[in-house]
Amino acid sequence: MRAATTLLFLIASALLGATVARGADWELDLDLRAVSSDAATSVLDGGYGPTRFSERQSGLQLGRLRLALNVPLGEVWKLHLDASAWDHSYRNPMGLTEAYLQFRPYPRNHLRLRVKAGGFYAPVSLENGAGGWTSPYTLSYSALSSWLAEEVRTVGLEAKVDWLGTRSDLPFDISAIGGVFGWNEVAGAALAGGGFILDDRQTPLFDRVGRFESDGARIEPFREIDGRAGYYGGLALEAPGRFVLTALRYDNRANPAAVDALEHVIAWHTTFNSVAARLEYGAGWTVIAQWLSGQTAIAPRGSDLDWPFDARYLLLSKRVGSRQRLSVRYDRFRVESRNVEPDGEQSGHGWTVAYMFNPGKSWSLTLEGLRVTSNSYIWGEEQSHPGPVTDTQVQLAVRYALGSAGY
Amino acid sequence: MRLSARSNRALLVIRAAIAGMALLCALLYATPASAASLAISVQLADGKPLADAVVTVQPVGRKLPAPTPISAAMDQMNRMFVPEVLVVPVGSAVSFPNSDSVSHQIYSFSPARRFQLPLYRGKPYPPVVFDHTGIIILGCNIHDWMIAYIDVTDAPFYGTTDAQGAWSAQLPAGHYRITVWHPRMREQTSTLVRELAIGSGDRATLTLQLTKPLRPAPMEGESY
Repeated sequence: MRAATTLLFLIASALLGATVARGADWELDLDLRAVSSDAATSVLDGGYGPTRFSERQSGLQLGRLRLALNVPLGEVWKLHLDASAWDHSYRNPMGLTEAYLQFRPYPRNHLRLRVKAGGFYAPVSLENGAGGWTSPYTLSYSALSSWLAEEVRTVGLEAKVDWLGTRSDLPFDISAIGGVFGWNEVAGAALAGGGFILDDRQTPLFDRVGRFESDGARIEPFREIDGRAGYYGGLALEAPGRFVLTALRYDNRANPAAVDALEHVIAWHTTFNSVAARLEYGAGWTVIAQWLSGQTAIAPRGSDLDWPFDARYLLLSKRVGSRQRLSVRYDRFRVESRNVEPDGEQSGHGWTVAYMFNPGKSWSLTLEGLRVTSNSYIWGEEQSHPGPVTDTQVQLAVRYALGSAGY
Repeated sequence: MRLSARSNRALLVIRAAIAGMALLCALLYATPASAASLAISVQLADGKPLADAVVTVQPVGRKLPAPTPISAAMDQMNRMFVPEVLVVPVGSAVSFPNSDSVSHQIYSFSPARRFQLPLYRGKPYPPVVFDHTGIIILGCNIHDWMIAYIDVTDAPFYGTTDAQGAWSAQLPAGHYRITVWHPRMREQTSTLVRELAIGSGDRATLTLQLTKPLRPAPMEGESY
């Protein structure tokens, strides 16, 4: 997998030169943070903290360095590559979070088809609508989006068919979407092991993540163990830029009895349902409500080796003029550990408040405060917290973006 | 034959007289005794003016010369079409300049004119000629929220309302059918048709008010 990632990265670098030479679209973003945090080391870094940065990491940090390319291949095909660097927790200095080929034929008779092949996000989150799967509202993602960024990705094929009601007399379009995928059969392991967190790192494709196992290994969510494809399917009603209502069912169809004996990796059968709504009002108001509920298991149903989970958030955002935005989000999350001897649950809630200011086309400033109150069954092993702990993280992000993003 | 200086002067006088008469005739023709004016005001359900409503005026029971085709432009700025609504006479040519720094890919699958403009920036394509009447709905295959409308008409009098919801025209006296249309109105088009007999020298006025609020305007937003 390391060779594959390195190869993909080299291809991306080569394409950058070709893309710039051809005048196609590219984007380079640098996001630097001034951080103040009182949290424990993040779950993603081998600790127990529910935020990205810990108390020890207060100070200047790299938020993200991102390079994205959109290479048109003929008239209706395009190649999209999204490479990012966060910190030293991943295998390569930069990793590909998404890399896919897209087929976008011209709509006909009110029908529009979109097909994607490669590695990309399933269309679950309604908050991560900006470039590079970022949120246009906050720096930290919601608990459910943070989990998707951590270990859920489609490596496969997706088709979406839209019936364009807005091109006739209906006030909305109706979409049906379906995907088949492989190489995501360890999705759920990091969630069961560390619970939900509110972060904004995205695990590069075929990279590793999460708490260090006892032998020092980290979780590799992008593995295919039993050779069975997973799927997702959903429906959406959408009035572009006005409202979206979605419902989606996801099942990676991993056989929980399957084991990669050579590498000592077991398959995690993860399923979830998601329903979400995003509403936009004319005066710059946006409301998003999303609920995701499912479970992950490493033994057939009824064997008491499963972790039911659910997470939800409500986000309210107001655009002020064309340069400012104020957002507030409330998250609730829970993972129950149903082992033979029940461990209890990880649960909590979080408040995120963010103010964004775009002084110019290339610059943006974001001040975000995040306060998470949670408890966790994993604390019992090494810490003796009597109850929920509240962690606070404040970040000031300065972002500079270059390029001609948009295509 | 050589003309004398006196004959030359006489010829100049005759020419001037003919030119003067022609000018008088032109003026008389331009403002015939049967001329009239029509002023239309279009309001939203709450009484506020409705801008960019398309007004077309067709004669009833007689024919008037077809409107002269024009050259018009449907621009793309900040990933939106500008204007949202355009009305042009049949046979007109519309260009689609892209004023954004990103590429657009414009299409229409409307029966009145199907066309596609492959990925472009700037103004690389010749204007598209619209030879049939009807509503053409435009989209961008890259930015799914972009939508705009071209109304191709054979009405001799046409236009869109201004910011005050007003449109006016000088026209010969007669009987007319007046149609008001906006792409985001919820009413049936037939409910905004009026017939009006305009007498010679009349200054006819007509106020039309929608009964339902407009559907919301499209906004930029990544598709789900």
